[in-house]
Amino acid sequence: MHVQHLSSSLRHIIHIDADAFFASVEQGFVPLLRKNPVIVGGTENQRGVVHTASYDARKKGVRTGMPLKQAKKLVPDATFLKGNFEHYKAVSTVLQNIYYQYTPLVELTSLDDAYLDLTGTLSLHEKSLVEISREIQKQVAAAVNMTVSCGIGTTKLLARLASGQNKPNGITYVRSGTELEFLHPLPVEELPGIGRMAKEKLHQIGVFTIGDLRSVPRMVLMQHFGMNGKKFWELANSIDGREVKQRILPKQISRETGFEEDVSDLDLVFEVLHYLTERLGKKLREQGLTGQTVSVKVDYSDHKRYVKARSLAEATDCTDVIFRLVSQLVDETPFRRLRVRRVGLTVSKIDRKDWQGELFTEQSRREALESTIDEIRQRFGFTAVLPASLVNLQKHYRMEKSGYVLHAPALTQ
Amino acid sequence: MSYEEIDEPIAVITFFEQGKLHPLRFRWKGQVYRIKKVNGFWSVQDGLSRKYHFSVSANAPDCFELTFDTADFNWQLARVYLEG
Repeated sequence: MHVQHLSSSLRHIIHIDADAFFASVEQGFVPLLRKNPVIVGGTENQRGVVHTASYDARKKGVRTGMPLKQAKKLVPDATFLKGNFEHYKAVSTVLQNIYYQYTPLVELTSLDDAYLDLTGTLSLHEKSLVEISREIQKQVAAAVNMTVSCGIGTTKLLARLASGQNKPNGITYVRSGTELEFLHPLPVEELPGIGRMAKEKLHQIGVFTIGDLRSVPRMVLMQHFGMNGKKFWELANSIDGREVKQRILPKQISRETGFEEDVSDLDLVFEVLHYLTERLGKKLREQGLTGQTVSVKVDYSDHKRYVKARSLAEATDCTDVIFRLVSQLVDETPFRRLRVRRVGLTVSKIDRKDWQGELFTEQSRREALESTIDEIRQRFGFTAVLPASLVNLQKHYRMEKSGYVLHAPALTQ
Repeated sequence: MSYEEIDEPIAVITFFEQGKLHPLRFRWKGQVYRIKKVNGFWSVQDGLSRKYHFSVSANAPDCFELTFDTADFNWQLARVYLEG
C-alpha cells in the first residue's frame, strides 16, 4: 500500500468521457434536435434497443439497452434516430486532436472516451489539472457543440470513476491522499471486471460498496473469483499500476446485427453471419491485425443466448479461414425450435500482423486474392465484390456501395 | 423536427484553407443562403471518391446538409431539416 501511494502520487491522469455521445453528436450537427429529447438506436417503430439517449430523455427514465418501443412510451415527443457511424468517427477525430494538444500520451479507449497522462507535460502548460480540464471542455464545446466530463486522478481507475461522478459537463478531481475516501461509498459494480454475475456473488456475501470489498481479505476474494479476486481487492485498495498507453490493440473485434423481425430461416442466419465475417476480415486487414479465437453468438426470440467459441491453430486475418471456423461453429449450434433475433461474431486474441507469410501455399494464394478484393473494394465500394451466396441478402437488405444497410447501422459498421 | 431529402445540385462559394474547405454561401432555387455556422462535417468513402458532408445553419431557421463530391467537384443540397 505504502509503495503504491508513493508511485501513484506522481501520476496525473485525466479521463475524458463525452456526455451522451451519439445523441450529443446528432444534436450538435443539427441544432434543431436540441428542442426535443433525442434517442439513438433506431426509428421509433423499429425493433431494437436504445443505444444512447440525451439527458432530457434519461430524466424521463430512458436507459441504454431499453427497447425502443418502451422508450417511445416514456418520451413520446422524442426524436428517434438510427445513428450514423461516420458522424461519430468524425467527431471522435476532432476530440482526439484537442487531446493531443495537451499530451502525446493519449489512450483512446473508444470513440467517446480517452485517458490523458499529463505526468510529464503538466509543468509545460503552467496550469492546474482542473484548468486544463476546463480548457478542454471549452475547446470541445466550441469545436463540436457538445460537452464532456472529466475525471482527474492518480490512476486510470480513479480518473475513470471520477469522470462518471459529475455528468454532464462536470470535473471531478480525486486528490492524492483521498483515493480511498473517494472509492469507499461507490457501488462495487463500478469497478472494472465486476459484471452482473460477480456483483450478485458479492452481494450474497454482503459486499455492496467498494469500501465493503476492501474489508474482505484478499484470500477470500481469491477463493471466490480466482485471480480476478486479487485484481478486485487491489482495485478496491486503489492499487492500479496500469499505464496510459498511446495505442492499444483492441481486445476483440465484433460485428453483430439484429433482424427486423425474428427469423426462422436458417439460411438467412447463415448468410448474415457470412456477411459479418466478410466485414470483420476486412477490418482486420485494414488495421494490420490478426485474431485467433472466433466466437459465434445467436440470440433467440425467448431472449436466451447461445455462444460458441474456438481457437484456430494460428492467428489469421483471412476471411476464408475465419468463415470456415464460423461455419463449423454454426454447424455445431443446436438450433432450437425458436426464431432468431440477433446474430454476431467476435474475433479475439488480437495481435499485430508482423510476420511473413509462407510463399506458394494455398494460404498465400488466398491472401493474394483477398488483398486484390480489398483493393477493388477500396476503389469501387464494399459491394463491388461479394461472395455469390451473399447476393441473396438483397432480398432482405438495401444494398449500397459501402455495404448492406443492416439493422441498427450505428452499431454495425 | 423533420427533414426532407433534396439531392439537388447547388452553387456554393467555398473558402479553402490549410487543407480544409469552408462553405460560405450557397444558392438554391434562386435564393442565396449565407452560412452562419458549420455545425459538423464528416466524410464517406464512395468507391474511389470521397464525399464531404457539411451540416450547416444558414440565414433561416432551418438546417441544411451539403455534400461535396471529390469525383466531380460538385456540390449538392442533400437534406433540409425543418422545425416542427
